[in-house]
Amino acid sequence: MKILAIETSCDDTCAAVLENDRVLSSVVSTQVSFHRKFGGVVPGIARDKHKEFIDPCVKKALAKANVTMKDIDYVAVTYGPGLAIALEVGIKKAQALCKEFNKPLIAVNHLEGHLISPFLRDKNGKLYSKVEVDFPFISMIISGGHTEIVLVKDFGEYKLIGQTLDDAAGEAFDKVARLLKLGYPGGPLISKVGEKGNRTKYLLPKPLLNSGDLDFSFSGIKTACLVSLRNIYAKKVSKKNKKLILTQNDPEYYDSKDMFFTKEEIADFAASFEKTVADILVAKLLMAIKKYNVKHVSIGGGVSANNHLRKSLREAFADKEISVAIPDKRFCTDNAGMIGIAAYYKAQRKEFVKEPAKLDRNPVLNFE
Amino acid sequence: MKVISIKKNPTAAIKESIKTLKNGGIIVYPTETCYGLGVDPTNQQAVDKLISYKTFRADKPISIAVFDKKMADKYVTLNDTAKNLYKEYLPGPFTIISKSKGKVAHGVESNIKTLGIRIPAYEFMLNLIKEFNSPITATSANVSYKKTPYSLKDILSNTSQKQQELIDLVLDAKTLPKISPSTVIDTTLDDVNVLRQGDIILKRTHKVITKTQQETRTFGEKLVSNLIKKKLNKPIIIALQGELGTGKTQLCKGIAKRLGVKQEVLSPTFIICREYKLTQDFDKLFHMDIYKLANAQELLDLGFREMLKGHNLIVIEWAEKASKIIKEMNKEAFIVWINMYHKSETERIIEYGEYS
Repeated sequence: MKILAIETSCDDTCAAVLENDRVLSSVVSTQVSFHRKFGGVVPGIARDKHKEFIDPCVKKALAKANVTMKDIDYVAVTYGPGLAIALEVGIKKAQALCKEFNKPLIAVNHLEGHLISPFLRDKNGKLYSKVEVDFPFISMIISGGHTEIVLVKDFGEYKLIGQTLDDAAGEAFDKVARLLKLGYPGGPLISKVGEKGNRTKYLLPKPLLNSGDLDFSFSGIKTACLVSLRNIYAKKVSKKNKKLILTQNDPEYYDSKDMFFTKEEIADFAASFEKTVADILVAKLLMAIKKYNVKHVSIGGGVSANNHLRKSLREAFADKEISVAIPDKRFCTDNAGMIGIAAYYKAQRKEFVKEPAKLDRNPVLNFE
Repeated sequence: MKVISIKKNPTAAIKESIKTLKNGGIIVYPTETCYGLGVDPTNQQAVDKLISYKTFRADKPISIAVFDKKMADKYVTLNDTAKNLYKEYLPGPFTIISKSKGKVAHGVESNIKTLGIRIPAYEFMLNLIKEFNSPITATSANVSYKKTPYSLKDILSNTSQKQQELIDLVLDAKTLPKISPSTVIDTTLDDVNVLRQGDIILKRTHKVITKTQQETRTFGEKLVSNLIKKKLNKPIIIALQGELGTGKTQLCKGIAKRLGVKQEVLSPTFIICREYKLTQDFDKLFHMDIYKLANAQELLDLGFREMLKGHNLIVIEWAEKASKIIKEMNKEAFIVWINMYHKSETERIIEYGEYS
């Protein structure tokens, strides 16, 4: 079975060709100029560049796999979640191809792609993630737009068992970087400037850690960081004022815009913050494993490329008999390979789009 | 291609470099990261030559290396974020992006008129730039998409004869330690024009204080109930202003709850716009965070006008980023403006009123 998969949910234009679960080609056209890379979409550019890149991207994927549209059995496309005007470009292309070449269409949830990505194999049949996972397993998707824990019972059987109630983990990195006046993109910068920082210098609260459920509140951490930074700043600039100053009517109120920190303060704060986030993610993952009694775990999404998190996960599972699939960094971020493999299993379940011309995007798609 | 060792002949290396740069030539030079490619960024012919060496660049801009902040000031506008980064992290392996003053040749700035600046933590190069008394380009010496170069051999084995002929001078420092290329930091998103009192004149202003997140959500619910009672025949824009952590997303959770949205309302920051189909009162709820938009025009690119065609409710966080466009929509839409402030760790001040 040969599948052509298209993914345009965010700001990368992606196409891939799969033979069953094997990736024959996977093309990612990154469209943002390096001035605006990482951490989110630039809407106008996103739509225009998708339109510009989609045809060459599909052509390249077919050529690299050494096939033509005639060889393709199914066309798959992401229909959500994502930015509406970006999703539309991929869907239109997929619809046009299905019509022209008379192929069935498979609509894939972008998040299902992340869940199923540990099953991706290279063209020789070797697993990219190196670790075999088996059902049931727990998958944690952590990115700039998502933070979810999903119980994967089988292909097509997913249960959302925990998620952020406000901000995504990756977003918290960006926002804390904003508070530290680090500029943009914050995520990679926090890791870089905090590399040698003292991870236990600042004690930050871990919202919802003892909530008993598997939900997160990264907005809570962000606000805690703001309070903590204001404290650090107040102590620094005014020795008389040991008390936290918070009201705007107060003559010594510090707007976060006016607070600046030294390299050392930033390093320790960034490191402490990164540790706090990793601790929360690991703790909730361990809770999920215990609660659902599973032996396999996988992670996915852009933040799963964070080195401190990868290290914390390996340490947490070192003495447990649980296999952890940490995907190749290429398949952590957005790609069409994962859409293709999700589609491969959907095809086996005969989940096709009945009327391809009527497929609509669903920007806030999620699991039940 | 002339090769000079900077260890053996530092004086000659500087003298020869300046001569080459002044004549519009290309030099290859060492830094604390990898080998860089230098031309005079104000000389169009030299920049064109550099671009032809790099081959495929699409519209990728080229950073420049300066001696100090004073030199940077001539080429870019430094905001407070940039100034602090210069103070704390430069010289060092960072490229800091600011608004360009338009003093460089075409192809150096980005298409949104920003420019990346670097101050290399490499003494010889700082001396050279100081002596040249002008910036030089700071792009890695490899051809686009080829290996990052840490030695002359890395460059020669990955370039064609024709490309090598474009290089006039190589400043050789043997093999450099393998330190990743500089980290790029964009500071221009922090240029938020905060609206001052008087910028927006509101009718019927009110002020409430919420003590908990729950109260902020309840305020959102009540606000929508009041708007529904008005039986307006047009879309509604709720423009939110307030710094990080003031509860903007919480407020939107309350709004969504009142409109019957069952799923969790998550922050739209990453994706910029989340939309929810509604079954009562309105057709759709759009929840936007426009902090990351480079300019107000991008709000229109998101399909803002189309959103205003239906009976929709549009919540915009960081509305100050596009206040001009939002204000212009006061005929098509009913606009509520909300400012949120911290009062204490948990209390928030919410000021709101109609804009017309």
